[in-house]
Parts: sequence; C-alpha cells; structure tokens
Amino acid sequence: MSAVLEITNVTRRFAGLIAVNDVSFTLNQGEILGVIGPNGAGKTTLVSLISGTLAPTAGDIAFEGRSITALPAYQRARLGIGRTFQIMRPFPGLSVLDNVAVGALFGHGGGESDLARARELARAQLDFVGLAKFADQRADELGGPSRKRLELAKALAMQPKVLLCDEVMAGLNLVEIDEVIDVLKRVRERGISILVIEHVIKAIKSLSDRLLVLHHGEKIADGDPDAVLSDAQVVEAYLGRRRA
Amino acid sequence: MKGLRWILIVAALAVLAAVPWFGSDVLVQFGINALLLAVLAQGWNIIGGYAGYASFGNSVFYGLGSYGVAIAMVQWELPFAVGMVFGVVLAVAFAFLLGLPVLRLRGHYFAIATLALAQVMIAIVSNLSIAGQNIGLVLPPLNDDRLFYELSLVLLVAATATVFWLTRSRFGFGLIAIRENEEGAAVMGVNTTLYKVLAFALSGVFSALAGGIHAYWITFLDPASAFDISLNVKMIIMAVFGGPGTVLGPVLGAFVLSTVSELLSSEITSVAGLFFGLVVVVAVIFMPRGVADLMRRFRTTGWRYFVENLKAHRI
Repeated sequence: MSAVLEITNVTRRFAGLIAVNDVSFTLNQGEILGVIGPNGAGKTTLVSLISGTLAPTAGDIAFEGRSITALPAYQRARLGIGRTFQIMRPFPGLSVLDNVAVGALFGHGGGESDLARARELARAQLDFVGLAKFADQRADELGGPSRKRLELAKALAMQPKVLLCDEVMAGLNLVEIDEVIDVLKRVRERGISILVIEHVIKAIKSLSDRLLVLHHGEKIADGDPDAVLSDAQVVEAYLGRRRA
Repeated sequence: MKGLRWILIVAALAVLAAVPWFGSDVLVQFGINALLLAVLAQGWNIIGGYAGYASFGNSVFYGLGSYGVAIAMVQWELPFAVGMVFGVVLAVAFAFLLGLPVLRLRGHYFAIATLALAQVMIAIVSNLSIAGQNIGLVLPPLNDDRLFYELSLVLLVAATATVFWLTRSRFGFGLIAIRENEEGAAVMGVNTTLYKVLAFALSGVFSALAGGIHAYWITFLDPASAFDISLNVKMIIMAVFGGPGTVLGPVLGAFVLSTVSELLSSEITSVAGLFFGLVVVVAVIFMPRGVADLMRRFRTTGWRYFVENLKAHRI
C-alpha cells in the first residue's frame, strides 16, 4: 500500500499548550484510518493541520509524496484534500444544493466553472448522502443530523482524494450512525482514503481498517483496531487506571 | 413570470433613458445624482453585500476616479475618456496595494481600517501640486446634462449587469462562500485572499467611474469633497436599505432614499437630516434585510413580516 498522507513529527503549540506533540503516522491509499482520543487529545487540531487552517509549529505534512506544509488551505483543497467540520459550518444563507455546489465549483483541481453543471454534480452528492429532498431549503434550516450529512456532501463534491471527517457521527442516534458508516464505506469504494475522527468507539471500530489513539497530543497507539482497543495504555487513557 | 420580469426591467430602463427628453432640468439633475449614488451603492454591494466586507474605503475609489479625470483633463489636457481610464487604473492599483493588507482584517477591524483610508487620502492629495493641493481643480465645463444623465445610466446598467453575473458565476459563489464562512470557503478551495482583493477592485472600478462622471459634471473638486466619508455612509445605507447581496436591492434603495431625501430637504429643510435618519432607523428595525427581501416575503407573510423582524431584535 502506498501512503497518501505522511505526517512526520508534527507539533502544534498554542502559547503554553501543546495540542499536538511530535505525532507521526501515514494514511494509506484506500484506507479508513480512525483517530480516537479523549476530549482535548488534539484530534481536531490534527485535522486543521492537515487541511491547512492551522500551521504546524514543527514537523512536515506530505501529500502524495510532496510536502504541503507551506501551502495555504485552498491549495491543499485543490490538490484533493477535503474536510468536514465538527462544529458544522454550512454557508447559512445559501440553499443546501448551493452549499454543495461551492464544493463542485472549487475543490479538487480547481473545480467545475459552469454553475449549472456544478449544481448537477451537487445534486448527485446530495443523493449519495440522502439529502436530496432538502436540496432547495436554506442550509441553516436543516437539523443537526442533516447538517452532518451536508458537511459530508460538501466535502465529497470537491472530488477529493483524501477525506478528513471531524466527528461526523457525534450527536447521531444508532440508526443514523449506521447510515453514515454505510456512506463512508461507499466513499472508500470510490477510491477515496479517509481519516475519521470519532468519539463513538463502537462505530469507529467497525469502520476503521486501522486505529490511531491520541492522548494529551501524543500518539499512544497505532494499529489493528482490536489490538489497539485492548492496549493497556489506551484503556487507561479512556477509563483511568484500575485501582486494585 | 421570468419573461414578465425582463419586460418590466426593459420598460423601466426605457422610461429612465427617456427622462432627459421630457423631464425638467431639476429632475434631470436629481436623476444624475440618484443614478450615480445607485452606482456607488451597487459597487459597494460587491464587496459589502456579496463578499461581506463592510468597506468604508469606497469613497476613496470615488475620489481617485474624480481626481483621475480632473488631473488628466486639467493638467495633461487629455480627453475625458482617458481620464476615466486613468481613474480606474488608480482605483485598481489602490485596491491591490491596500486591499492586500486591509482585507486580512475582519468585521469591525476591517471597517475601521478602511475608514482611516479616506482621511489619509485627504491629507495626501492636499499636498500634491498635480492635484491642486487643498485648493482643488477646476475642470473645463461641459453644459450637457443629458449626456451626463445617459452616461450615468449606462454605468448603472453595467454595474447591475456585473452583479447579476456574480449571482451565477464561480467568482460570485466564491464571494458568497467567503461572506457566509471564510474558513469553510478556504478549505473548499476558494482562494480567499485573491477573491477578496478582486471584489474590492471591482467595487472600486464602479466607484471610480461614478466619481469621474461626477467630477466632470460638477466641474470642480477639492480633497474634502472628493474623499467625503459621508458619501460612503450614504452608499452603505442605500445598499443595506435596498437589500445587500441582491441584484436590484441597492439600486432600489438608492432611488427610494434619494427621493425621500430630496422631498424632505425641499419641504422641511432644517430637520430633513433628522427625518432621513429616522427613516433609516425604522427601516433597519422593521426590514433589516432590505426592500428586496421585503418584496419577496411580504406576499407570503403579510404584515407579520414586520412583527417578526421586530421580535428578532428583542425590542
């Protein structure tokens, strides 16, 4: 398997706080990599560092073998890196369809320049995530679960090679979680590599090929999901030390 | 429905274009002012309404356009058209040079930074001998209000057509995405810095052209009137009153408020300013999204429209 993303010794400090500390890992072609960790472990910071909305204090990020550390966010998007936001950020005044159309108009490779064609592509993505019936509503009229899907549709309309999902399942019920898992699996079938940040451990276990655990900004485990979840250090990070 | 709208627009344009042939001198002069204000409001609409950056620097573009024409015609004895081009070049250069640093600021900070630009320009121009220092420049008079009127109308049509194009182009969608959520726009591949500067420049082009026409029409300009910040306030009020981020809203706002202001100042001169302020305050409270939104929604919501807006303000 070839690496699509290579994160090498990446550190990000916010004044005195080290949000991400010397983390290295790779995301392979066609892989679903799950990233878990307690609140404040640095998961969202990691996604922001890869998508370019934050710059690393140290370390290097490479995409398809080429360093992208110095590139601004929009250029990374054009190379094929799409992300969703944990705190959903639709364009509130635009219709659901046009929110997604922005992804098709820009996105990977600079996007589609014709608006009508971009809207067609957007409609296909809305179908894919199951939001087609809301296409003409304003984005800020959507409920929470639908907004999560909208985030996905927006990122997918960019035709990315890599999709970074920041807690797309948080706040969803079990049925909705299963639906999103199904969507992500179908995204992978398109040849898109996925990095999923999640709190819901059960969901991420069934979805991920590999699991990476962050704790206090450091990587404490990386490997097969079952092995990682039974790792003593991981259990301690989540549940605390067992007192005999 | 769509065909009817176009017929109405063409008919309205025909009537507007015919005004100098049947209207009085006073009406034509009022028309030139109203049309130029509409161009300014429409220009502001591009950076303020679509990109979401409340610019107080558009009166600088206006001033640069005025001085472009004045310097070209008075100092270099070039034709008016060349002066207009010179003014546009100045405005675009200014948009790129100052837009790059200033457009990094957001919200109130951007507004304050652009507000300062006009003051700086007054100080600079007052000391340039080519611009007549603080005495100003007197342009060769051309007594043809009909021409100025039609020129202003053509410019307004061009500005409105540009905004119409924005609503259905990649560039326009990029600007709207920036307004709605700048970080979200960037991660989707919008070159936010470039788009903002281009929007600032485009908005500047129309302001400069309006300034150029106005300078030649009035035949006199000095730094304080060319870079008058209250003109910038006016264009914002008109655009916001009509509906920022819509195609026809700013034009409508400019026409309505110009008329109100004209009627008030001819009827009750001394308190006209007060009434004008009152109209704006009431409008902001009862229809914060402008006349364009009111017209779109009034049919379905009726008078509840105003009540709901009032409630939204928590008054």
